Amino acid sequence: MRIYNPTFGLAAAGGESMALKPVNWKSDAIALFSNSKPNARELLDGIRSKLGAFRPTENINFVAKNSASQPAPKDLIEEVAAKYRGALLAIAD
Amino acid sequence: MKDIAEQEVIDIGDLDIDGFNAFALEQGWSDGMPLYPPTEAKVAQFVDTVRGDNRPFAPVPPRQVVPTLQALAANAVMAGCKPEYFPVVTAALRGLLDPDYNLHGTLATTHSCAPMVMVSGPARKELAINCGSNCFGQGWQANATIGRAVGLILLNVAGAKPGEMDRSTQGNPAKYTFCFGENEEENPWTPYHVRRGFAPTDSVVTVMSGEGPHNLNDHGSTTGDGLLTTFAGSMATPGANTIYGKGPCVVIIGPEHAATLARDGYTIESIQEELFKRSRVHASRISKENQETYVSTGHMPDGDWFAIARSPQDIHITVAGGPGKHSAFIPSFGGTTVASVRIAR
Repeated sequence: MRIYNPTFGLAAAGGESMALKPVNWKSDAIALFSNSKPNARELLDGIRSKLGAFRPTENINFVAKNSASQPAPKDLIEEVAAKYRGALLAIAD
Repeated sequence: MKDIAEQEVIDIGDLDIDGFNAFALEQGWSDGMPLYPPTEAKVAQFVDTVRGDNRPFAPVPPRQVVPTLQALAANAVMAGCKPEYFPVVTAALRGLLDPDYNLHGTLATTHSCAPMVMVSGPARKELAINCGSNCFGQGWQANATIGRAVGLILLNVAGAKPGEMDRSTQGNPAKYTFCFGENEEENPWTPYHVRRGFAPTDSVVTVMSGEGPHNLNDHGSTTGDGLLTTFAGSMATPGANTIYGKGPCVVIIGPEHAATLARDGYTIESIQEELFKRSRVHASRISKENQETYVSTGHMPDGDWFAIARSPQDIHITVAGGPGKHSAFIPSFGGTTVASVRIAR
C-alpha cells in the first residue's frame, strides 16, 4: 500500500542554516534576551553575575521583547545580531 | 533511499489497518486514536475538492514548511473526514496562518490553548455540522473529524509534538477536536460571519486559539440584565491568560438565553459593552506579585480593576447550542486574534 506522508512539506525560502563564527564568551558583547515571562529577568541577572566572575560585564546587556506571547519583532532581532556576538535566551517559564 | 520524513509518498507494503496504526504511532503521526490510512486514491479524492482554490499556503510555523495539498489531505483522511469536509479544513488552516493568530506562540506555549473552529453559513447544513444540542460534544462526524484534522495538521505539518514543540503544561481535550457550527436559525441577531463582512450565502470558518468552553449556567435569571450579571461574573477570572495577555474571547450564547437578551432589547454591541464593563477583575482577587508583574509589563489597571480584554469588540459573540439555560465562555491564549476565512467551494 502506498500512502501520502502527512508530515511532508517543502522547505521555506530563507530557512537555510548559516555557518556561525565562534563566540568568545570571555570578552565579546553578549545580549541577555528575556522572553518577558515573570522571573526571566531574575534568571538572566543571575547569569550576568556568574559571567562577571571571569569576564567584564560592561558589554553584557539585557534585552526583552514586548510580550511573552508574541514573537520578538524582526528589527529587534536584527539589532541584537548587529550589536552582539552572542545571546543567551530565557525561553522557558 | 530517502528518509521517511523527506518522502512525499511512502510504500508501507501490505500492512493491514492495525499494522498501519502501529506504523503511524511509531512515526509520531497519531493523536493517540486510530487513524485511516491516507492512500493515494483517498488523498486524490480530497485534493479534488479544493482544485479551484490555488492560493499558496504560507510556511507553517514552528516547523516552517510549506505544506502540499496532499500532505494536508493525508491528515484529513487519517482524521476520518469525508472528502467534502476538506475545504473547511484548508480554510481553517488559512485562518491559523493569519500572522495575528500567532500560530508559533499558540503552539509552543505552556498555556492549554487549542484551535476553536466555528463554521457559519450554508456549509453547516450541507455538511451536517452540529450547531444545536451538544454542539461542542460527541456524535457528529463533521464536528469530530474536521477539528481532529486541524489538530493532526498542527502535529504533523506544524511540528507541534506534545512535550517537544508543544510545551503545554496540562493540555486540553480540545486539542483532540473542537469544531462546531453557529446556530443561525435561532440567532436573534445578525449571523457572526455577516457581522464580519461576509455575505449571508458565504460559508465561513472562524478560528481562535482558545481554552475549552467554560459553562455559563443560569436557570434563574429571567431578564437580560440578570443573564449578563452571571456571564460577566463567570468571565472575570484572574487565572485566564487574557487578564494580562489581553486578547479576544468568545461568548457562545445558548438559544434560550439569546431569546431573553433579544427580548429585553440587547444588541450584540450592547452585550459587548456590558460584558466588558462588568467582567473586570478587582485587584483584591489578584495576588500582589501578579499585579506587580502585570503593571511592569504594561497591563495597567483601571483604578482597582483589571480588564479581561482590550475593548468590548474583543468579546466575540454568537449563538450555538440547543434547548436549555446554558451558554459558554471561551477565553483565548491572549496574544492571538479571531480569524475568519471564507470556505472556497
